Amino acid sequence: MEKLLDMARKVCDQAEIYFCDPTSSEVMFQKGELHDIESQFQSGMALRIIKNGKLGFSYTKNLINREEFLQNALDSLKGGVQALYDFPHTSELPALKTYNQHINEVTSSSMVENCTHIADIFLQNTDAEIELVAYKEVLNLRIINSQGTDLHSKIGSVGYWLGLVYPGGGAGISRVYEEKIPFSISRNILDNLVKMYNDSSKVVTIPGGKMKVLFMPGSMYTLLWRLHSGTSAKSIYEDISPIKNDIGKQIVSEAVNFYDDPLDAEVSAARSFDDEGVPTKKMNIIEKGVLKNFFYDLNYAKKLGAQSTGHGYRSSMWGGDTITMKPGPRLQHPRIEPGEKSFEELVSMMDKGIILDGVMGAHSGNIPNGDYSVGVSPGLYVEKGEIVGRVKDVMVAGNVYDTLKKVVAIENKLHTCWGGRMPAILFDSISVSSK
Amino acid sequence: MLPKLKQILHKADADYADIRYEIKKDTFITLDGKELSNIGSTTTDGYVIRVLKNGGFTSVSFTKEEDAEKALKTAQENAILIGNNIEKPVKLAEVPVIQDTFIPTLKEDPRNISIQEKLELLRHYNDIPLAHDKIAMTNMRYFEMIREKYFISSEGAEIHEDLITTGIGGSIISKEGNLTQNVRVGAGGSDGFYTVRDLDDKFEQRTQIAIDLLKAEPVKAGAYNCILNQGLAGVFAHEAFGHFSEADIVESLPAMRKKMQIGNKLGNDVLSIIDNATMPNQLGFYKYDDEGVAVREVKLLINGVLAGRLHSRRTAQEFVEPISGHCVAEDYRFAPIIRMSTIYIEPREKTLEQLMAELGDGLYILDPKGGQTSGENFTFGAQYGYVVKNGKKYRMIRDINISGNLYQTLQDITAVANDLKLSKTGGCGKGQTNIRSCHGAPHILVKNVVLGGI
Repeated sequence: MEKLLDMARKVCDQAEIYFCDPTSSEVMFQKGELHDIESQFQSGMALRIIKNGKLGFSYTKNLINREEFLQNALDSLKGGVQALYDFPHTSELPALKTYNQHINEVTSSSMVENCTHIADIFLQNTDAEIELVAYKEVLNLRIINSQGTDLHSKIGSVGYWLGLVYPGGGAGISRVYEEKIPFSISRNILDNLVKMYNDSSKVVTIPGGKMKVLFMPGSMYTLLWRLHSGTSAKSIYEDISPIKNDIGKQIVSEAVNFYDDPLDAEVSAARSFDDEGVPTKKMNIIEKGVLKNFFYDLNYAKKLGAQSTGHGYRSSMWGGDTITMKPGPRLQHPRIEPGEKSFEELVSMMDKGIILDGVMGAHSGNIPNGDYSVGVSPGLYVEKGEIVGRVKDVMVAGNVYDTLKKVVAIENKLHTCWGGRMPAILFDSISVSSK
Repeated sequence: MLPKLKQILHKADADYADIRYEIKKDTFITLDGKELSNIGSTTTDGYVIRVLKNGGFTSVSFTKEEDAEKALKTAQENAILIGNNIEKPVKLAEVPVIQDTFIPTLKEDPRNISIQEKLELLRHYNDIPLAHDKIAMTNMRYFEMIREKYFISSEGAEIHEDLITTGIGGSIISKEGNLTQNVRVGAGGSDGFYTVRDLDDKFEQRTQIAIDLLKAEPVKAGAYNCILNQGLAGVFAHEAFGHFSEADIVESLPAMRKKMQIGNKLGNDVLSIIDNATMPNQLGFYKYDDEGVAVREVKLLINGVLAGRLHSRRTAQEFVEPISGHCVAEDYRFAPIIRMSTIYIEPREKTLEQLMAELGDGLYILDPKGGQTSGENFTFGAQYGYVVKNGKKYRMIRDINISGNLYQTLQDITAVANDLKLSKTGGCGKGQTNIRSCHGAPHILVKNVVLGGI
């Protein structure tokens, strides 16, 4: 890598190399039985160069020929993509404990053993179709640039995805658990999932209308994607954010504190620098309902006359191979601050309404405008504070900025879920449509 | 390439093994509004090994040649582990052993066109919406993906096939006050650069829709009788029905598998659905899948009766059904999984006007905006629509997302028109992305569809 950087430095103004080598294993159970194990040994490198204010980019899975790799980046300079920013000089970052060597104790066998145990409990206590995934990933991440930055992070994570699928329906109760060290899921958690599944197994029919909806962490990405779009420097620059001029204004309920916490060492995905080598920090985006900040990468910060907030990441809504993507502004560690109610208390506060345990179609609809209209997958129906069954063919719809004004209460803890760590949130008067 | 792969595979201690090596060349150009934000061309490569041993079947992907032995060892260990933990050993359906090289014939090879010309063409299209005041933004991209695939198996298969996909697409965003609306535009295909030429009219039309949507009314939540246009009906064929024709999905859901028995009457008599990768000049075309099986046409639903299913070698054996050649990977990072190729609803005799008359009062909804399935339930968005009264189109509506139940909806499709159209762009995200996922349909009439509104 150093040699390549030296070569690049000689022919351009600035250069940056990003290296990543994920090794992963995934164990899959279907119908409560081991179905497949897949492993990956991947590695790759991406090069960004800046010359005369223009950007060159290339990536490779195998660095066999440095000259050719550099030449690809030089060739792409001709495209004329503007790059008016400078790569940062970053050093002396806090050491985050993102890797624990005990993760080596996690093997395909141990994951199979844990899943077998979980499957047995689910099979004995429910009629659900059991789908389980256990995974382990270890990766080295290194970023070096011509400004003298040399950052490295080793990240190890192990996790479980548990699904209790209603027979024939496809939808089900599902949860994700992730840690940095080997762990097993407590009997208490498994029993709660079993109870939730069994309580909701009966299909009930309801009339549509406005009612309370409890967004579970697994559904929160519906709202998150829209907030992400509204507060991204890219949307501000492109003038498509409906809250572009609202910094300092109350935009949602006072109960909402929405922030990004890359340094949260509770989780393996913690990062002290982003994918451009910019130091990260905890940052409030919405504080007590007031819009405080947008988030920036180097490129859009420069365009908007701001500083990067350490949010330049190589990722997309759909994942993908990081080396093939250029950094863009992304919130990688979003959180909504927990409130004071337990999950049980939240349910008891519902006279009638839906627990939105999962959604379908969060990606369709007018995301820039904040609109969502999602199918329940599943939707648990609550009457007088008790789960009485589940609803089918029902949609929940609204606009994120309107929905977040209708907060009744927020759960008192964070759960790892797709897109971040979130509590469950109870909203009032949400539109629910049904046949 | 093939001799090198043989050397690796030769070391496999297994009942069956195969290896796929791919070189992938991406060319990409992105315009965000007037600004060029990405341009370039890059090559990556990698391997996937699959091993059947001790009744367990597993895969390992890797990028460095020197990791081949480690990958083989891991695959063998995992296969043994699986074999020891499952009741019924995995077997693969027998298939003809193929040795072939297939390089598609292209009308205008994109590799012979300079990136400068590609950029100029993209800019030309992109300028069409940007010339209008009410268009706030565009995100447009040109993409070209060339997969050079080499496959060999311990049974003696040796196949080299190239897949060359070209496309232009993106979104047009209109804005008035705080209201933004967006529509998608796109075209492309599997048989050459000509598929992205002559799109001016299309860009004009889509721009006008984005502008008109600013004045459209949000649809009211509720249940409606609806006519779905070809693009939207194609997404229904894919999302609501198609995924349950994929044997690996049905296999994991026993209750669903029971309902999805070949010969079961599932839908209205007017409904026939086919998957056919072998039709030339369409996005979903390929010759061999990623386990070396020649793909064939599969009639999935004939006059409402389930007639066929999409298979891998493993599931064909498990279901005791004919192999179909539908086990396809996104690229060298993944083992193949079962995918639709070109799925479409077979056209019937009626015209759109006849369907409108049959509808009477209801909605006419058009063009897909993403969809998802979860078991028998599905949801997908439409980009815009119209209120229909007495068989006539009236005011425009927006914010249309529909949700439904597969079995009920198959019954509720009461009329199918004669105007089949296949999609020019695709993208299915079943764990891996399939940019060649193609779907199509004629206009269809569906009763009692739930719309979410906003």
